[in-house]
Amino acid sequence: MKYASMKRWLRAAWWAAAALAGMAAVAPATAHHSFAMFEPTKTLTLKGTIKNFQWTNPHVIIWVLVQPEDGSAAQEWSLETTSPGVLTRAGWTRTSLKPGDKVSVVFSPLRDGSRGGALNSATLLDTGQKLVPSFGKEQPGLK
Amino acid sequence: MIRTALMAAALAASPLAAWPFAAAPAAAADPSPINAPPTAQDWQALAKLPDWSGVWTPVISDQEKQEKSNPPPWKPQVAKQMEHMYAEEDAGRPFPIIDHCFPTGMPSWMLITHNAFEILFTPGRVTILGEGDGNRLRRIYTDGRAHPADPDPSFHGHSIGHWDKDTLVVDTVGLLPQAYLAVNEAVGIPNNGDMHIVERLHLLNPDTLADDLDISANKVLSKTWHTTRKYYRQRAKKFDILEGVCDQGFYSDAVDANGNSIFAPIKFHNGVPVGPDSK
Repeated sequence: MKYASMKRWLRAAWWAAAALAGMAAVAPATAHHSFAMFEPTKTLTLKGTIKNFQWTNPHVIIWVLVQPEDGSAAQEWSLETTSPGVLTRAGWTRTSLKPGDKVSVVFSPLRDGSRGGALNSATLLDTGQKLVPSFGKEQPGLK
Repeated sequence: MIRTALMAAALAASPLAAWPFAAAPAAAADPSPINAPPTAQDWQALAKLPDWSGVWTPVISDQEKQEKSNPPPWKPQVAKQMEHMYAEEDAGRPFPIIDHCFPTGMPSWMLITHNAFEILFTPGRVTILGEGDGNRLRRIYTDGRAHPADPDPSFHGHSIGHWDKDTLVVDTVGLLPQAYLAVNEAVGIPNNGDMHIVERLHLLNPDTLADDLDISANKVLSKTWHTTRKYYRQRAKKFDILEGVCDQGFYSDAVDANGNSIFAPIKFHNGVPVGPDSK
């Protein structure tokens, strides 16, 4: 993905992230955030198991448990992506990912090194189905 | 000037007073305290309006182009703040323009939204319903009324409109001073009061809607800013607008001790949401 389009997408998803970042010490502060908190020039790919898939506005959240190769305890990653509306148009449903599904996720990580990121794609390992959070080219009359 | 004319016309209202911009003669009843029931003719008149049905998706690439090629004429002290906000964005510390799940508000909704909206015509009203955030909607009165003398400030302001051929001309005042004048989701400034927006909404071609905006915000702009935003029409049913309650994203589904379905606040660690069962 080009930097500009990634940046744009990140912003779209970032509502949630900015909101989320500012919320740590506050009761449910709610912000829809830009996605500049993620590092768009980097991507990470991890294989793991879906812990939870939250189909909510402003951002959908995917929690993935990743088993480190050294056998230590599974690490939890939280990946944000755009809204249910945008994902619906991209072919997703609220059951596209289910707890226990094995996935490979590609994402731009948080710049601060925390275990979170902005999703680029999620591939279901059992079926090979690849889910991307975009409904494609900007044009009228999309099918 | 339009606002002044409208108010003058309202003050002069009489059953015979011609209303220059009114879509329906009933408009001359303003400032009647009653919203008259629409007649069959009022409903039929809607069929003569341009077809703006479907769902409109913002042309985000054009927003970005406009952001660079036609920035607002910021006052010098505001321009410094904008430079800082751009620097913060580039450093990965974006300022949350759209915060607390407040509506994006006007004019930022039309300027920077990444979300779809739909436009409904009913007698005396044009209503714009957006996706994302709670309460993201605009009510544009086309019944010939004037602005209230002292409208309660709101995120979307008080909007009155009239049809100039196939163009909807919308005049908006009564905006909260906190409503952002933003160029993207991380760069913008509260209008700080006295903002006035005039829009001309029209089809550029059968499936592209344009909003030509003239934004006057004398606390932050050195002159009226003219800019345009575009939206593409979608007819596929998968584009139908979904409910979008921003605050919901900060809670996970849960069940309480009595077996009732509830929302449980999401936990955060280092600013990152973590699973409901996490320590």
